[in-house]
Amino acid sequence: MGADPVAAMSGGRPIGVAIVDDHPVVVDGVRAWLSTEPLLTVLATGDDPDEVLRAAPDADVVLLDLRLHGRMALGKLAELSAAGRRVVVYSEHTDPETMLAALDAGAVAFLAKHEGREHCVATVLAAASDRPYVPPALAGAMVGDPRPDRPVLSDKEREALLLWFQSMSKASVARRMRISEHTVKQYVDRARIKYTRAGRPAATKAALLARAIEDGLIRPEEIGIYRSQARYDRPTP
Amino acid sequence: MSAELDAAVRQGYAPATALTVAAPPAPSRGTAGEVTPQTAAGQVAAAVGRASDRGARIAAVAIALAWHCVIGLPAVLANRAELAAPGVVLAAWAVVAVVGVLAGFRLLRHAPLPAWPLAGLLLAVDATVFAAAGERQLFTTANWVWGTLGWFFMLALWGRRVRGLIALLTAHSLIALVAVVGYGATAPADLARFAMYVYGTSSLPIAAYVGSAVVAVLARERATTSAATHAMAAERDAAERARRDRRDRLALVGGAAGAVLAELADGRADPADPVVQRRAVLAAARLRRLIAESDDVPDALLHELRAAADLAERNGLPIDLVTIGTPPPLPVQVRRQLADPLTATLADARGWARLTVVSDPGEVVVSLVTPDRNGPDATGPPEWDDGSHEGRVDRIYERDGEIRWVQTRWRR
Repeated sequence: MGADPVAAMSGGRPIGVAIVDDHPVVVDGVRAWLSTEPLLTVLATGDDPDEVLRAAPDADVVLLDLRLHGRMALGKLAELSAAGRRVVVYSEHTDPETMLAALDAGAVAFLAKHEGREHCVATVLAAASDRPYVPPALAGAMVGDPRPDRPVLSDKEREALLLWFQSMSKASVARRMRISEHTVKQYVDRARIKYTRAGRPAATKAALLARAIEDGLIRPEEIGIYRSQARYDRPTP
Repeated sequence: MSAELDAAVRQGYAPATALTVAAPPAPSRGTAGEVTPQTAAGQVAAAVGRASDRGARIAAVAIALAWHCVIGLPAVLANRAELAAPGVVLAAWAVVAVVGVLAGFRLLRHAPLPAWPLAGLLLAVDATVFAAAGERQLFTTANWVWGTLGWFFMLALWGRRVRGLIALLTAHSLIALVAVVGYGATAPADLARFAMYVYGTSSLPIAAYVGSAVVAVLARERATTSAATHAMAAERDAAERARRDRRDRLALVGGAAGAVLAELADGRADPADPVVQRRAVLAAARLRRLIAESDDVPDALLHELRAAADLAERNGLPIDLVTIGTPPPLPVQVRRQLADPLTATLADARGWARLTVVSDPGEVVVSLVTPDRNGPDATGPPEWDDGSHEGRVDRIYERDGEIRWVQTRWRR
């Protein structure tokens, strides 16, 4: 870990972002947020995913409002994810079921609209390099996942998710758990990687998993034996 | 007697009496430690059933003893000379009188009766009196067991299934039949008389027994229906109140947000003005909370936390309240231990607050995070009552210069 996400991008090219939302005011707001980060450049915006992606076929990350024209775009999300598009879902619908359904459909990350600029920029940057980013609202949904086939999280992973959801401060979580901030992030990210095994397979999930192995977040031998992973509680070096 | 009636007697009547005989019924409690409308309705029904049953008991004891003294005793005394063994018949009368008084006393106090030993004793008395009355007094009122004993069977078996009473009355009839045959009274007229006696002496106790049971069942049913109707009306009122409450708050919140937006649009308010920014933040937090309130099932813990959040918000504190999962029903004490430390800190919070509740059936974690201000706590760490209770509630209070963090956690 610790690799600069931007270094992973080819040749220092800025990260292209496409924004799909049916509210112009939100598009403008998000564009303003992203413009504070020089590495990000907004390539296209609009309220129709197909049109936006025709305008910006090379977009690295798609920011998708889950509710377009009064309809949940989960089907579209699954289609884009299966095709390898890194989709960051952002929505005002932050009930845990919706968030988990978005992850299952292949979303790289889920961002609650009220979570603000910092989380938005961080999520897009992480998504561009196929790395997980778990904003607090998503952490809450994962920690409260009631489904019987939910991924098995270790106690530490669950506690890190819970405290991150509650406090929104990794520094405070680190102090509480008496571990480093880096390790807090590892626990949270490992929990997120375990969710790549939930729901239908998608190219984006495979990419997240591959990058996690490359970064040493999860060991290759842990793949495929997810049920027993709760035992691996030590952070990777 | 129809099967339906028998079932009604068995299901509705017997358990009610079993309750009163065994022990005063503990008030049934909901799992939340609160009396739910359903259990309240059950309690009302049980009370009505008990009251109705008590009246029937008094009537049964009065009938049995009155019959025994007013009809049985004078007949025995008047025909003493005619009896084969008057002393035995009188002694048996006295035994049953004593048994009747004791059983009646216990019945009225709802104390348990040794039903089957009592029944055995009564049958023994039955046989003895038939033998001691002699042939000539077989069909007269001096053979008092014919007409009286049925009422005492009823006392002995009070609150049990009607088939027990029928069995006893059958045994009673068989003893009489043995006596009738034994005394050689087998002429058609005697047998007809026997049949009439059996019918006459059995039908009344059975009718009274079943009648009292049915009246008790009906009374319970009526009380249940009426209590359930009341509970439903109360629930409907509560739901209506909650809806009105939410609508009023939506109007209030919408008005506040609308005013800020209108002023911004008119250029009367400056987006750079910290006061305007704060108003916008508050309005947004309120709207978010209102949208998040999707639970239709009223939960006591969330209700308490929401009330505390409302109060803080009215004092101008933007507060996020996020709930994940549904809390299991918790006893009042646990709920208090979960919520109180947070509400105390919330009252002292400035800037913003984030209140979260994460629940699954075995665990509830409530957390409040507010910015850590300089200087000592105005309120200090919240009071902590560490009394014994169902499950365990842990509490953590922290200030780290960045945030103040109170977390309470209940584990089953």
